[in-house]
Amino acid sequence: MTEVLFATYFVVLLATLVFKTPIVKGPWLFLLRAFFPNWKFFHAVGHVPQLFARASTPDDSGAPIWSDWALIYPRRVRRWHHLLHNPDTNLGLAQQNLVDHLWADLYDLPEGADPRGLVTYAMVSRLAHQFLSELHPDMRQYQFELRMVLCDRNEVIDTQVMMTAPEVSC
Amino acid sequence: MLIDTPLVLAVRALEVLFALSLTIQTLEYLRMGPATADTGLWSWSLQRTDIPHASWCRLLDVLFAPDMHRLNLCLRLAAAVWLAVYGSSLGLVVGLFVSNVLVLIRWRGAFNGGSDFLTLVVLTGLLIAQGVGVFGDVALGWQAGLWYITIQAITSYFMSGWVKIMRPEWRSGAAMTIFLNAAIYGPLGPRHALRNRGLALLGAWAFIVWECCAPLALVSPELATAFCAVAGVFHFLVFWFFGLNRFFWAWLASFPAILWCATQLQ
Repeated sequence: MTEVLFATYFVVLLATLVFKTPIVKGPWLFLLRAFFPNWKFFHAVGHVPQLFARASTPDDSGAPIWSDWALIYPRRVRRWHHLLHNPDTNLGLAQQNLVDHLWADLYDLPEGADPRGLVTYAMVSRLAHQFLSELHPDMRQYQFELRMVLCDRNEVIDTQVMMTAPEVSC
Repeated sequence: MLIDTPLVLAVRALEVLFALSLTIQTLEYLRMGPATADTGLWSWSLQRTDIPHASWCRLLDVLFAPDMHRLNLCLRLAAAVWLAVYGSSLGLVVGLFVSNVLVLIRWRGAFNGGSDFLTLVVLTGLLIAQGVGVFGDVALGWQAGLWYITIQAITSYFMSGWVKIMRPEWRSGAAMTIFLNAAIYGPLGPRHALRNRGLALLGAWAFIVWECCAPLALVSPELATAFCAVAGVFHFLVFWFFGLNRFFWAWLASFPAILWCATQLQ
């Protein structure tokens, strides 16, 4: 009997992958989503969100000069002891998750709505500001952009701009 | 009701490994103070607008004040050490559960994805064990708790395998190389072995088949042992390439439950 129950359970799980059901959303469901794990890791390949930012600094005459767009993407150097203690890498991973969440929030936003009211927008804006402040201490303005990037095994094969934020004064 | 020796061993192994996982997580959270400060990226003043009701928002303002958040983490650390040394009790597990939910909300629902989910699963298993134990049947409580953890852990591998098998990029082996290139310790070097299409295909299918067959681990203790050994290697590789050290410890904590449950279906 136990074996039959087990087999039924896993068949039902497989069925949930085939038959799509409506997605229930809500602020508390989002905050408490750990109670409803979907266990889908590293499954979706396609366009992924990447954050780019640029800074405006004054030249000798005080006129603004914009830097090139820079990719904000966490990269770390691997260490053995990271198996036991890895806060910086985990923060980097959380940072990239935040960019993913901004993409999801923008995707769900009604047509014409202002994204600046989103928590993820405010956090990503701060991320861009922190990143650029280190590169350009005399930054006067900054701007960030969310791009959807598609890679194959070796290189980027397509890039689409999803959102360009307005320029912000520091 | 007396508890038999294998069950006691499984429970103690689970408690010690889970306490180790919690300790590692908590020490990392304590090092992230600057990130959660008012000027940090994860400032509560930015995140509080996530909270839908003003009364909840006011309560969380108090609980997530920097000193209170640090106190929560220090208590959580002390509770993890207590769990390893003295074992679980209802009060300890309820405290850890509440603390864990608060930490999750502080990080907008999850800090590290899957490892947060499995940490909550193990905590829920401990809560089931202690909750049933309160009504007198301690052994039944632990059996229920271990089975809950086992079913969730096996489900995690099973689902993870089947969602991959449904994606053509995984079936061709390309997804593995693409994910490794995007990993935090990446990209792969130009001459790395996993850039070889044949090897990437073999690696992808090896893990997909192993994950999809996860329920078979419960058929016998020998299969469960082999499954957990491969799982240990798998989680180490996930750490090695993706930096996900918390996944390694979170899933390791579930292995005593899987091994014990495999002996029960004989």
